[in-house]
Amino acid sequence: MPEWPAQNKYIGQPTTRVDAAPKLTGRARYSSDIQADGWLYGMILRSKWPAAKILSVNFDKARSFPGVKAVALARETPFTVRYYGEEIAAVAATSKQACLDALHALQVTAEPSERFVVREDDARKEGSPQVWEGVTNAPTPRERKTGDVDAAFAECAAVIEGFYTTPVQIHHPMETHGSTVSWTEEGVTSWASTQGISSVRDGLAGSLKLDHSKVRVVTDYMGGGFGAKFGAGVEGVLSARLSREAKAPVRLMLTRFDQALAVGNRPSSFQKIKLGAAADGTLRAFEMENYGTAGIGAGAASEGGGGGADLPAPYLYKVPNTRVKQTAVAVNAGSARAFRAPGNPPASYGMESAMDDLAVKLGMDPVELRLKNDPSPIRQREFALGAARFGWKQKYRKPGSSPGVVKTGVGCAGAAWPAGGASRQTQGEAQINPDGSIEFRLGVQDIGTGTKTVIAVVAAELLGLKPEQITVKVGDTDFPPGPGSGGSTTCASISPTVYDVCTKALQQMQTQSGLADVRAENWFAACKKLGVNPLVVHGQWQPGLSSDHACGVQFAEVAVDTETGLVTVIKVVAVHDCGLIIDKLTLESQINGGVIMGMGYALYEERVMDDLSGVVLNPNFETYKLPGIADVPEIDVVLINMPERGVIGIGEPATVPTAAAIANAVANALGVRVSSLPITPAKVLAALGKVPATTA
Amino acid sequence: MNIEWQTPSAHSRRSFLKGLGTAAVTTAAAQAEAVAAELEKANAERTVGPGPVPVTLKVNGEQLKLLLEPRVTLLDALRNYSSLTGAKEGCDRASCGACTVLLGDLPIYACQKLAVEAQGQEITTVEGLAKEGKLTKVQQAFLEKDALMCGYCTPGFVMSVTALLKQNPHPTAADVKRACAGNLCRCGTQPRVLEAALSAAGIAAHRTTNTEVVNA
Amino acid sequence: MNAFQYATAHSPESAHELVAANGAYLAGGNDLLSLLKDYLVSASILVNIKSLPGLNKIVRGEKAWTIGALVTVAEIERDAAVKEAFPGLHEAAAEIGSQQIRNVATVGGNLAQHSRCWYFRHRDTVCLKKHGELCYARHGENRYHSLFTGNDCISPVVSSLATVFAALDATAIVLRDGKETRLTMGELYQKAWEDPTAHNSLHPGDLILRVEIPAMRRRSAYLQASDKHAFDWALVSCAAAADVADGKLKSPRVALGSISPKPHEVAAANEFLEGKTLDEATVAAAADLILKDAKPLEHNAYKVPLAHALIRRTLLQLKGAA
Repeated sequence: MPEWPAQNKYIGQPTTRVDAAPKLTGRARYSSDIQADGWLYGMILRSKWPAAKILSVNFDKARSFPGVKAVALARETPFTVRYYGEEIAAVAATSKQACLDALHALQVTAEPSERFVVREDDARKEGSPQVWEGVTNAPTPRERKTGDVDAAFAECAAVIEGFYTTPVQIHHPMETHGSTVSWTEEGVTSWASTQGISSVRDGLAGSLKLDHSKVRVVTDYMGGGFGAKFGAGVEGVLSARLSREAKAPVRLMLTRFDQALAVGNRPSSFQKIKLGAAADGTLRAFEMENYGTAGIGAGAASEGGGGGADLPAPYLYKVPNTRVKQTAVAVNAGSARAFRAPGNPPASYGMESAMDDLAVKLGMDPVELRLKNDPSPIRQREFALGAARFGWKQKYRKPGSSPGVVKTGVGCAGAAWPAGGASRQTQGEAQINPDGSIEFRLGVQDIGTGTKTVIAVVAAELLGLKPEQITVKVGDTDFPPGPGSGGSTTCASISPTVYDVCTKALQQMQTQSGLADVRAENWFAACKKLGVNPLVVHGQWQPGLSSDHACGVQFAEVAVDTETGLVTVIKVVAVHDCGLIIDKLTLESQINGGVIMGMGYALYEERVMDDLSGVVLNPNFETYKLPGIADVPEIDVVLINMPERGVIGIGEPATVPTAAAIANAVANALGVRVSSLPITPAKVLAALGKVPATTA
Repeated sequence: MNIEWQTPSAHSRRSFLKGLGTAAVTTAAAQAEAVAAELEKANAERTVGPGPVPVTLKVNGEQLKLLLEPRVTLLDALRNYSSLTGAKEGCDRASCGACTVLLGDLPIYACQKLAVEAQGQEITTVEGLAKEGKLTKVQQAFLEKDALMCGYCTPGFVMSVTALLKQNPHPTAADVKRACAGNLCRCGTQPRVLEAALSAAGIAAHRTTNTEVVNA
Repeated sequence: MNAFQYATAHSPESAHELVAANGAYLAGGNDLLSLLKDYLVSASILVNIKSLPGLNKIVRGEKAWTIGALVTVAEIERDAAVKEAFPGLHEAAAEIGSQQIRNVATVGGNLAQHSRCWYFRHRDTVCLKKHGELCYARHGENRYHSLFTGNDCISPVVSSLATVFAALDATAIVLRDGKETRLTMGELYQKAWEDPTAHNSLHPGDLILRVEIPAMRRRSAYLQASDKHAFDWALVSCAAAADVADGKLKSPRVALGSISPKPHEVAAANEFLEGKTLDEATVAAAADLILKDAKPLEHNAYKVPLAHALIRRTLLQLKGAA
C-alpha cells in the first residue's frame, strides 16, 4: 500500500505558487485574453422578457454591417424563454463595437407573456403563473422521518421555533464565463474558462455532433469558477457555431451583466425549523420545512449538477427524532448551479441559528450545546481548540448585554463536507529529459486553488528535487485526463496521481540508470543516462493516499452599530482539518477565501428581482455587493494536521459555517436575531424595533 | 514594439488589423503613422470620429499606434487592439478594479477612460512593471505572501499598491485599505494583499493570517 | 455604447457649440460612460471640457473660496487647506467611490450625475425618469429610495458634494446661454423635486463652471452610512456646518443626501439650532424636526432612524472640531 513519507521537506510547508510570476506580470493568458489568429469578438443577445415565445429573429440588418462575420440563433425558432436574460441569439464581429451595433440591429419577433413569477412565496400560491406549462411551481414536499417527532417535542424541556431565510447568491468569479473557440476542418479547439475541460469537451462534442477526438479544450489560466463553470455552456456552443460560420476563432465572454442572469447561482432557502432538547441540552426533536428556488431549474440537476435546493438536515448534530419536508420552487429566473459546498452554507445557517436560539432558551453556553450533540470527535476537538484560541469563555456574554451603542457579540458554527474523496480516473504523466528537467502534464485545472503548485510540491518531495525544478502543465484535454476542479476533490485526486507517476518514474529511472537511488543529488546523473530520448512515465490515482470527509468549525466576533445597523466582523477563527497538508500557504489562502465568501453571504450578497418586470435589478457589482478589503476581518486559522488520513480537500468546508457564525454573533450582540441573510443595516434596525411603520 | 503572443498561434499586428475586416481600416492603417503624427500637434478642437481615428498611446514607455473609434475605452484598446491583456475586464463599469492602470502616477479604471483621452500621458500597465523579468518589490511581496489566487484581480491590485507606495512609501494599514478599496476579489486574497503591501513598504511585522498547526 | 464623435473644446463657447443638440460634455466620464454603455443616454458627440481654461483651480478668497468644476475629487481630498477650512468637504470627498474614481471624477460631474435608482439604471425598465409610464420603485424595490418626494419619481440625489455644499451654503455658477447663472444647491436640484424626468435643474448645454463657498462656518462635518465599509453608495449621508461662538451655534446648516431628489434641508431645524449649544438633546430635537415629514415606503423606513443617528453624530462632530 502506498503511503506518504513520514518526514517531509516540502509537503506540509508553505510553498509559494509556481504560477505567481506570470500572474503578477500579466504574462498569464486567461481564456478571456486569448488572441488566436484572426479572432473575432462574440456577443449574446438575451431576452428582455422574463417569459416569452420567441418567434423569429431577423438578422438581415446586422448581417449587412461590414464587421459582422457570423450570426446564430440560440435555439431553433419558435422557442420559449423562461427568464430575463435567457439566450436568444449571438453574433461574431471584428470588434466589440461591431458586435454591440449588430446586437442592436437584431429584430426579435416575440410574444411576451404577462404570466411570470419571480418570488418564491408568490410562486407557491394557488393560481400563480406557471414557469413550466402544466407543471406546478412547487411540487409536494418530499418528507423524511426518523423516530416520532411529535411525541418527542412534547417531552422536551425547551423548544424553539424559527424561520431562517437565505437569498439567491451569485458565483460572480472575477473572470466571467466564456471561451475562445476555433472550429476548423481539423476540429474544435476551445480555450475555455472552465473548471472541467473534459466536461467542456463532452458538451461541445455532444452539441456539435463531433467525435471527442476532434475536440480539444485548453485552460492554462482561468479566473475562478466556484462551481458554476462546468460544461460547454450555451455560450460555448454558440462560440463554436459562430466560429464555423465565420471561419475564424470567436472569443465570446459574458459581460458582468450576463453573469448575474444566466450562468448559475446558489438556491435560496426558507427554513421553518423547530428544535427541542432535554434540560441538559441533549437534542431530542428536529422539524424542518424548507423551500427555496433553483430558478427555472426547479431542483433538477443543471450544468454540472449540484444545483438543487434541498438541504442536508438536520445539519451536523445528532437528533433521534426528525421530520424534514423540502421542495424546490420554480420561478422565472436563471437556473441554479453547484456553488461552493452546495446546500451546506444555508443548512449550516439554519441549523446553527436554531442551535443558538435553543442555547439561549436553555440558558446554556452555545459551545457547550454543540459539544453535547456533535457526533464527530474531530469537530468536538475543533470546537474545543477554536474556543480556546478565540477566547470564547472570555468573550461570550449573554445576548444583548454588551454595553454601549456599538455592541459586540460572538458566535460559532460547524461544518461537514463529505469531500467526495477523489476522482479515481485521474491520470498523469511526466516527461523526464536527459538534462534533468522534468515536466508534469495533467488534464486538471488550476482555478486559483494552487493545483499547479500542489503538483510541483508532491513531485519535488518524492523526487528529491525543488519545486521550482518541476515544470507543471495542466488544463489540456491532450494531457492524461484529470478531475473536474470541484467538490474539494482536486487535491485528493492529483496528489496520489503524481505520487504514482513519481513512483513509477523512480522505478524506471533506477532500472535505466542502474543507480539504486536516482533522487536528489543523483537525479542529474541518472537523467544523463537516458541518452537522447526523454522518458515519459504515465501514472494514475492510487488508493491509500487520500480520503474524504473534512470538518471545520468557525468562530466569529462582530461589532454592530445599533444606530446605523452596520455590522463589522472583527475576527474569525477558523479551525479545519483536511488530512495531509500539502502546501500550507495556499491552504491558508483557501480558508481565507472561504471565510470571506461566507461573510459576503452573511452581510452583503443577494440577487434582487423586480416582480413587476421580472428583471434582475442588481446585475452589477455596485448593487450586488462583494466584501472589499475594508470589510475583511482578522482571520486566524487553526489547522489540524492529520497526515495519516492522506490528502482530503478544503475549498468548500472553509466557506460553510462562516455566515452562520457571523449571524449568531450578531444575534448575541443585539439580543435579538436577524433571521434573514444578508444581515443589512436595514434589517438590524428593524430587529431592534427602530424602524417606524410605513405610510401607505 | 515587440508584441508577444503567448497563444498557440503566433500573430502579427499587421495581420490582426487586416483581420479587422473593412477595406477602409486596412488602408487607414497604412496611413496611420503619418496621420498620427499630425494629429498629435493638431488643433484639438477638430472633431474626430465616429469612425476609427489614429490614436497614439504611450504604454510602458512604448508607442502604440492604433486605429480606434472614439468610443473604444483604454481597456478595450489594450486588451483587444494590442497584446497587453494584463489589465482585465471584470465589470466594464468602474466597479471592480480589475482594469486598474496608471495614467501618469494616478491609478484609474481603464474601462471608464476613452482611449482617445489617454493620449499624451504615460500609461503604465502591469506588464510595464517588471524590468527584464525581475519582479518589483510589490510583485515579489505578493508572491511571497500569496496575495494572489486565480490571479484575475491581481494586476489591478498590483497597480493600486504600486501607485500607493510611489505616492506614500510608508503607508499604514488604513492607507492600504483606502488605496485598494476600489479593487474587488472573489477568491479572498484581501488579507494577504494587505500583508504584501505593508511588507513591500518594509513593514514586515504585520501578519494577517495567523495559523497554528496542531497535530491530531 | 453607440458610436459618437469626439472633440476637445478650448473655450466654453465652442464647447456649447460643439455639444449643440445631441452632444454631451465629457469631464471625468465616470457617469457619462456608464450611461452610454447601458444605452440610457445617447450622444452624437462627446465634447472634452477638461482643457477649458481656469476651471480646475481651488482658490482661497477672503469672502469665499472658489472650486473649479474641473477640480477632481482626489484633488479636493488631498488639499490641506480645504481640509482645514472645510473639514466636511474633505470628508465627503474622501468617501466618494474609490481611489480610481476620485482620480478622474470632477466636482461638476459629481453634481450633475444622473440618478442611481436601479430601475433608472436598468436598460429594460422604462420608468418615469425615462419618460415611461410608471415608477417601478414606488411599490417595488425601494430600499435605496427617497423619504421625501415632490413628484411621482422617488429617486434621491446621491451627490455627496451636493449634500456638503448645501450645508456650506455654496453656490454653483453655471454658464447658461452665454451668461453666468447662480444656483444654490436647492435650486440646482429643484427641477428634480418637481419633474420626474429631471435629475437636476441643468438645461441642455448648461456648463457648471465653479462652486463658490462662503468663507464662514468654520466648522463642518460629513458622515455617511452604507451597507459596506468602503466603496459603497451612501444609504443616507449628512453634512452639517456652522460657526461656533461662545459655545453656541451660529448660522447652522444641516443637509441630508440620498433621501430626497434634492439635498434635504429643513429651515425650521436650522432656525432651531441657531444660538443653541450642542448637546444630545439639542441634536435629537433637530433631527426630529428634519425628519418630521418623512414618508417612508415599504422598504426604506430604516432610513429614518439611520438619518436621525447621522444627524446627531454629524452635529456633535462640530463640537469637537478644532
